[in-house]
Amino acid sequence: MDKKYSAYLCTGCGIGDAVDMEALSGVVSSEMNMECKTHQALCSADGRTLIDADINDSGINTVVIGACSPRVMQDEFDFGDDKITIRANLREQVAWSNPADADKEYVQEQASDYMRMGCTQAQKSELPDPFQLEEGTNKKILVMGGGVAGLTAANEAAAAGYEVTLVEKSDILGGKAVNWRQSFPTKAPWTDMETPIVNDLIQAVQDSDKITVKTATEVARTSGAPGNYNVTYKQAGTKSEWDAPAKVGVDEQDAIDKGTMEDPNAGLKHYMDDNPEGEKFGAVIMATGWTPADVSEYEHLGVASQNVVTNAEFEKMAGQGKIVRPSDGKPVESVAFVQSPGGAEHDKDFPYCNSVTSLVALKQAKYVREDNPNGKAYILYQHMRTPGSMELFYKAAQNDDGIFLTKANVMKVEEGADGSLSVEAEDTLLNENLSLNVDMVVLAAGMVPTTKDANVVNLAYRQGPSLIDLDLFDGYADSHFICFPYETRRTGVYACGGVRKATTVDETIDDATGAALKAIQCFESADRGVSVHPRSGDKTYPEFFMQRCTQCKRCTEECPFGAIDDDEKGTPLPNPTRCRRCGTCMGACPERIIGFKDYNVDMIGSMVKAIEVPDDDEDKLRFVVFVCENDAYPAIDMAAMRRLGISNLVRIIPVRCLGSVNMVWIKDAMSAGMDGAMLLGCQYGDDYQCHFVKGSELADKRMVNIAETMGSLGLEVERVAVTQVAINEYHKIPEIINEFVEEIVEMGPNPFKGF
Amino acid sequence: MTMKVDPDMSFIKYLKSAGGDTLKNCYQCATCSVVCPLSKDGSPFPRKEMILAQWGMKDKLIGDVNTMLCHNCGDCNTYCPRGAKPGEVLGAIRAYAYTHYGFPQGLAKLASDGKNLPILIGIPAAIVLVLWLISGGMHMPEGPVDFGNFFGHWDFHWLTKTTFFIDIIFLPAAAFSLFAAYKGVSAMWNKMSESLEISSDFSPSAKQFTLEFLWPAIKETVQHKRFNECGTNVDRVKGHLPLLLAFIGLLLVTGYSFVRKDFLGLIYPNLHGPIPLYDPFKLLANISAVALLVGVAILWANRKKMEADGKAAPTFYDWFLIWEIAAVGITGLGAELLRWADFGVLAYLAYYLHLVSIFMLFFYMPYTKFAHMVYRTFAMAFEKYRESSFVQKESS
Ligand code: SF4
Ligand code: SF4
Ligand code: SF4
Ligand code: SF4
Repeated sequence: MDKKYSAYLCTGCGIGDAVDMEALSGVVSSEMNMECKTHQALCSADGRTLIDADINDSGINTVVIGACSPRVMQDEFDFGDDKITIRANLREQVAWSNPADADKEYVQEQASDYMRMGCTQAQKSELPDPFQLEEGTNKKILVMGGGVAGLTAANEAAAAGYEVTLVEKSDILGGKAVNWRQSFPTKAPWTDMETPIVNDLIQAVQDSDKITVKTATEVARTSGAPGNYNVTYKQAGTKSEWDAPAKVGVDEQDAIDKGTMEDPNAGLKHYMDDNPEGEKFGAVIMATGWTPADVSEYEHLGVASQNVVTNAEFEKMAGQGKIVRPSDGKPVESVAFVQSPGGAEHDKDFPYCNSVTSLVALKQAKYVREDNPNGKAYILYQHMRTPGSMELFYKAAQNDDGIFLTKANVMKVEEGADGSLSVEAEDTLLNENLSLNVDMVVLAAGMVPTTKDANVVNLAYRQGPSLIDLDLFDGYADSHFICFPYETRRTGVYACGGVRKATTVDETIDDATGAALKAIQCFESADRGVSVHPRSGDKTYPEFFMQRCTQCKRCTEECPFGAIDDDEKGTPLPNPTRCRRCGTCMGACPERIIGFKDYNVDMIGSMVKAIEVPDDDEDKLRFVVFVCENDAYPAIDMAAMRRLGISNLVRIIPVRCLGSVNMVWIKDAMSAGMDGAMLLGCQYGDDYQCHFVKGSELADKRMVNIAETMGSLGLEVERVAVTQVAINEYHKIPEIINEFVEEIVEMGPNPFKGF
Repeated sequence: MTMKVDPDMSFIKYLKSAGGDTLKNCYQCATCSVVCPLSKDGSPFPRKEMILAQWGMKDKLIGDVNTMLCHNCGDCNTYCPRGAKPGEVLGAIRAYAYTHYGFPQGLAKLASDGKNLPILIGIPAAIVLVLWLISGGMHMPEGPVDFGNFFGHWDFHWLTKTTFFIDIIFLPAAAFSLFAAYKGVSAMWNKMSESLEISSDFSPSAKQFTLEFLWPAIKETVQHKRFNECGTNVDRVKGHLPLLLAFIGLLLVTGYSFVRKDFLGLIYPNLHGPIPLYDPFKLLANISAVALLVGVAILWANRKKMEADGKAAPTFYDWFLIWEIAAVGITGLGAELLRWADFGVLAYLAYYLHLVSIFMLFFYMPYTKFAHMVYRTFAMAFEKYRESSFVQKESS
């Protein structure tokens, strides 16, 4: 594209009061060689007409707007896909961040730098050229798991017009729910239990001409990428040469090559081998469900007795007919539902219980009452969780004369000679210790996600077959439950139902519907060549200048989403449809050969260099802050809206993710004589908030290295810093930035200034 | 202490049928314990009683002092966020307890069920009628209406015939009722003592008991101290107090009349006639009668309103007492008015009904809501006993 530039400055919203606009316009036109026009309200219809006229009459196609934050007025300053629009944030970061009595000279320099950076960014930006899969986009959906979640996902996807293949490990569809006697109420008055819906779901799947069902089948491996997955099946429970290979790191490969380690993938096809027999899919829905938790460790609860069962076992018994005591077949008259392990760890629940086990106990207590008019069901809980309308179900159960509820710490369950059980409980609501005599005890075992101990998805990826870091989520297939439901660490793989959270049938149905929509969204986005999440609609993607690649494998290792495979030599093989456009690979590459059309190492480096650093003024220090656009940048805008005040020695550069910060920018800044550089991003670690999961963490590690390098050059390591901030912590922004500035002001200017 | 759990499902059913239908709503938030004037630290009353009731722990509840002490102020009903109406539930427990402690059991059970109302009315109606027949007084006497001639007239001038017949009806009935009440109350006392786990070595003497525990309890009852602290049902005191005073008034009058006719009359036969209007006791009797009618009317209206507002369920237990008292008042007033109007037959008939209703009120006292008079008073005495050094010494 032949670029024709024009810059526009807005004097509204207080910008004109804070800055000498004529002088600023002069900087743009003389230094940056761009025509520059000024208007009192660029976002108004009148302002827009001014710009549109230039676009139409003079063929302007690259517009620099010096006005408000790029986070606002996006429609007003949208000039179409064929134009490049760059926004310099003069309002929030200059006019609104300086107090009224700020030194005009400093403010003017600040505004000038933002325009210099904006114009540089415009010069270095290219129009994106969306990625397209060579083979075209496959729009079929693979659903793994034939329980309520899988059936629902399949039905919903089919209803939306997509082809689905549903793979179920066992011989029949329906999962656990086929054995249930009844399920929770799903509609007003929320008191009546319902016939499990699972048979209807199975029927619908079987009736659909868009859904292919494969029972007794497992997925051996899934290779490829969204829009172009290649899935190899195998008979359930068997081994296959196409089983997904385990991850082999660089060091392990060395060991294998030397013969000091056994190859875990011996006999298996290489992860990059393509099975011509495989079936192609666009996206994968993971609905592999859960298994009942193992509670055999709780010896004090009498687990050795036949008459002590888990809720899952009890449900199965109830599904088969009248409940009888396992030891002697006596019709059950009284049952104690033990909801928490009790004993020493009395406030804990059984693992993986969530609120579901509370509801299950209420439901099963009702069975006891249904089966026997004199039946007695005791529910001994530490926590009774009945969210939403389920409170009404709880009330209904509570209202039953034969259901007895109390908070209690169960100390001991013992079997008597006749098979009946005595249950001892302390700390009850009855203010006394209780001793119950019951026919059976039911333990509220939780729902363990199938991903806890198995790979399940079996991806043939460079980074290994499983979803990673699930230990942060107790094994649930999750990557960021609150911000990004359904998302896993692998684009194109969407989890729903019990594998994601201990859910009720009702919740599972919602969940599976959502996952089906995410799967569709994924390959439809891929089809349009745009990113799906979280930078939805981004047309750029990382491009590699392979000629200069040294096969260092940093990008393949560090991509948080396993988007990059490699060949035998280690040359990266990027999969843009797996990619989330975080730029972590770009930050990682020591050769600086990875970049996006509108965001690359050269561009940001040039922007850093565009900042004017006075080399003869002790007071005019300069700081660059690379700010993650997901949380930190909006937080700075919010701080500005509240006029909290940020030092005007600071120049802010937004980045996609701290992971994308290439350390060369820090070096650029320091060698340009700047006095300090800071990275401001999201929290990382166990409770990470990082939108790209690992970016912030990797940036921190890289900064430690750069600080060491600086130290060896004789520069104070304090001149570089990484700080974490959440979007709602805007009030901390001035403190974070200004303290950093003050510390370095005290330290004095960069000793290499001017060299 | 470990409690063996064996829920009595029929007890739960009974409570639900006797006004405690909301019992299962309780979710143990203890709001009621915050508002209840009886609740003390460490004894979350009536929250704990609610779960005991939900669990059908009959044994624990019938010996629960607080349950007996609850004067149904209704504050807990108002504040309970779940509409569990603990006050009503406790009322149902008390109704159950009166029947449970009732002596003899057959009669207690009979008096606890509205279905038996015909029998309940039939027994005294028959007794009085039979004696009326035997007395031969069942004809229209000469002259102005004089209830002194209800059971006829004889010349035995030391004791009139009517007084004699009244005595042979009411003295045994009163004695029986008192004995039954004594049996019931002592059963309750024993049950309550069980929970204290004390030996009898430290029992107070009869005098100590009366002076230190019973008398203060009676005093407190008469003063209506706790009632005045009520929030929600504070209006009730407007009905309950006149009623209580009316009963005391009528008790004094009856005592006076008994002494005058059965003892003084032996000496001064002219005292046998109707007590003259100017006699202060006659005055007291009339005032009491009016107070009784006003009191019961207020209670009647209160109860109706509570039921209309859904704050209470209509139960035989509650209404039987109101009906009984109303019957006593109305038949008494009716007889008096008809006497003045000199409607002979009607006046005597009204008087007959009056005697029947009085009989009912007192004869069934130990089993009806009326029993609260004794059970509550003794529960209060027990409370004082429990807090006294007799018990404290033992448990420390
Ligand atoms: S690191 Fe980010 S930008 Fe690079 S390939 Fe992976 S997901 Fe894409
Ligand atoms: S990080 Fe850069 S040099 Fe290293 S493998 Fe990737 S593209 Fe090649
Ligand atoms: S009776 Fe009502 S106020 Fe009292 S604990 Fe139960 S729910 Fe709470
Ligand atoms: S009615 Fe009054 S005295 Fe009785 S429990 Fe409720 S608050 Fe307490």
